[in-house]
Amino acid sequence: MSIRGLGAVVTVESLKLLRQIRTHVVLAACVFGPFAFAAAIRVQSSLPTDTLFGRSVKDSGFAVPLVILGFAALWAFPLLASLVGGDIFSAEDRYNTWKMVLTRSRSRADVFTGKVVTALGFSAVAIVILAVSSMTAGVLIVGVDPLVDLSGFVRSPDQALSRVALAWVSILPPAFAFTAFGVLLSVVSRSSVVGIGVPVVVGLTMQLFALVDGPEALRRLLITSAFGTWHGLLTEPPFYEPLYHGAVISAAYFVVCLAIAYGSLRRRDIAG
Amino acid sequence: MHRTTGLAIVITAALSSAACEFTPITQTRIEGSIGPTFANLVTLQMSWLGMPPMSTTDLGVNARCRRPSGQNAGSGEWTCSLLWQGPSGRILRDSYELFVTTDGCYTATASSEGIGPPTLKTDSGREVRNLLYAFEGCFDTT
Repeated sequence: MSIRGLGAVVTVESLKLLRQIRTHVVLAACVFGPFAFAAAIRVQSSLPTDTLFGRSVKDSGFAVPLVILGFAALWAFPLLASLVGGDIFSAEDRYNTWKMVLTRSRSRADVFTGKVVTALGFSAVAIVILAVSSMTAGVLIVGVDPLVDLSGFVRSPDQALSRVALAWVSILPPAFAFTAFGVLLSVVSRSSVVGIGVPVVVGLTMQLFALVDGPEALRRLLITSAFGTWHGLLTEPPFYEPLYHGAVISAAYFVVCLAIAYGSLRRRDIAG
Repeated sequence: MHRTTGLAIVITAALSSAACEFTPITQTRIEGSIGPTFANLVTLQMSWLGMPPMSTTDLGVNARCRRPSGQNAGSGEWTCSLLWQGPSGRILRDSYELFVTTDGCYTATASSEGIGPPTLKTDSGREVRNLLYAFEGCFDTT
């Protein structure tokens, strides 16, 4: 694998992504969705009380990105994370283009790594856009009043901003784990429906499983548990242990999925 | 076939007993979280309403929680009774119904009338949310 080869694959894959309507629609939804949500909250009297910070969305704009974080964890993060990862390999099967791709001067390692880097890049960009847009929507539509945290403490706007930003950063490891899972499915199944659909279904199933009072060790092994580890950032004193656990579990899923996916692609016999 | 069913029963039983033994949602953790959170919210609400300030230590909140289903561990419904010293020095008692999730977060909703309506009016006539009517909290499950 060479850096130049990797760079070439990432450039080509990114250009392909930028030409797709799907990419534009999803990124536009990430930009405008939070504004629509904040505006809807502003005009209606009921509050999303079944989500953490739902009661505070009219009191402080900083509650808006946290409520969106809670909602998105259910299925939007698995979908955003696997949207490109779950399709980037199987698209070559769909268009029957593997032969063309692999007869160029780039090795399979270059192609694999380049595609994975592009998929991870898309997941990160989508989540960062959603985070920034949620925060901006909250601040502009609701305001910059202090936030009452999960211990009943008042967080100044500065503190609230940094905690909310950290909470969104904590979403990246499990999102990357879902991207890697999407990549694995995309390589093995050669189907984009499986690559994108299965991570979303698995995400929902894991969330349902976490509702049941099962063994704690098993609950922590679910990727989706890492989507809720930010709660400790908004208590006093804060607790970070679940964040570390979540990051380690996500890293384990990430490595295992990508290792199997690479093994499968490397051994694949592309003939014809 | 019988062996598979037997194995499934054994695994289910093992998982259920493990669930009972290893749940991190315990009475101590819930009481340790709701007591201080309630105290913080009381002091905050008093400042919003322009009442003389009281420290959380002065309030001396004492939380007692139990699970209506009997076993005092696990997620789901809990009830908590909070004893605390009000501004006039009287001992007050408030009850809350909690829903605790497996990740250690809960929603507490007041079940006694002393807490008042969902919104309150300040001296200046401004309407504020009654922070004690329903609130959320989270505790460490590790």
